[in-house]
Amino acid sequence: MLVEFEQIQKAQAGDDAAFNQVVVAYRKRILGTIARLIGRPEDVEDVAQEVFLRLYYSLDQLRTPEVFEPWLYRLTVNASYDYLRKQRRRNESRMSDLSEQQVLMADAAAGGKVSTEEQRQKQVKELVDSLLGAVSEQDRILLTLKEVEGLSLKELEKIYRVNENALKVRLFRARQRVLNAFEATQGAVKPGERKD
Amino acid sequence: MDRWNNELNGLFAEYKQAIPDPDPGANFMPELWRKIEAKRSFTLRIRRLTQVFVGAAAAICLLFTMIEVIPGSSRPEVHGSYIDALAAAHPVDNITALGIVYRESPEPNTK
Repeated sequence: MLVEFEQIQKAQAGDDAAFNQVVVAYRKRILGTIARLIGRPEDVEDVAQEVFLRLYYSLDQLRTPEVFEPWLYRLTVNASYDYLRKQRRRNESRMSDLSEQQVLMADAAAGGKVSTEEQRQKQVKELVDSLLGAVSEQDRILLTLKEVEGLSLKELEKIYRVNENALKVRLFRARQRVLNAFEATQGAVKPGERKD
Repeated sequence: MDRWNNELNGLFAEYKQAIPDPDPGANFMPELWRKIEAKRSFTLRIRRLTQVFVGAAAAICLLFTMIEVIPGSSRPEVHGSYIDALAAAHPVDNITALGIVYRESPEPNTK
């Protein structure tokens, strides 16, 4: 926990200063998670503000401060999902461009060494974004929370309020789809050539 | 397959490094509070409108109730039982015209 339970309880009681402190404590982490969930840096702050806005107006529904973090993640997931759903049209066009993008990425990967670390990171980001375009918004979020954010199945269970087995099945299927897309991307490159 | 899995794991790890937690902009908190206030005032406006609507509905109900119970209204007053009222409204002639035979009670035997 990044804040004391009392701080959350004060915020629940309507103390705006306490709420402000809770936001200040969690905003960087939430911004990072959203940035990796939605993949559009220019909209990250808007989505994060939406998360904290929802937090402000639903804080009284939180029964115990112990579940605050999974609950905040849940709000983050929901706000990110809503954002991605609004952007579906854009995503669909991106998915339709996937094969072209895959070829471009494969070309870039096969093209030789990347000159700087920054360029390499940009390339990785674009590749992962395009791979995650192969799954639905829900699966993209779930997979990112598990594989990128490193949340455990227990934590995901608390966030999604579904049992572990159901999560495992869904994660497995989503990962398989991403893996297939990855293989297709790398199929254009001879094995071993991806590493820059 | 393991090779692809491992490469994908590596890719996800690199992805996290490629997108570090961004620093919030200077405007983050003021903008958040502006949104909170905007939503609060919107909610208050809706609440006030609802109160006005409920008040108006209650006033209309009260008005109709008063119209109904005010004495001397156009509705005729009814006295006595329903049978009395029916008899008053349908004198014997009318009942006969309707085909209902009115029979005098027989004379008591004087013999």
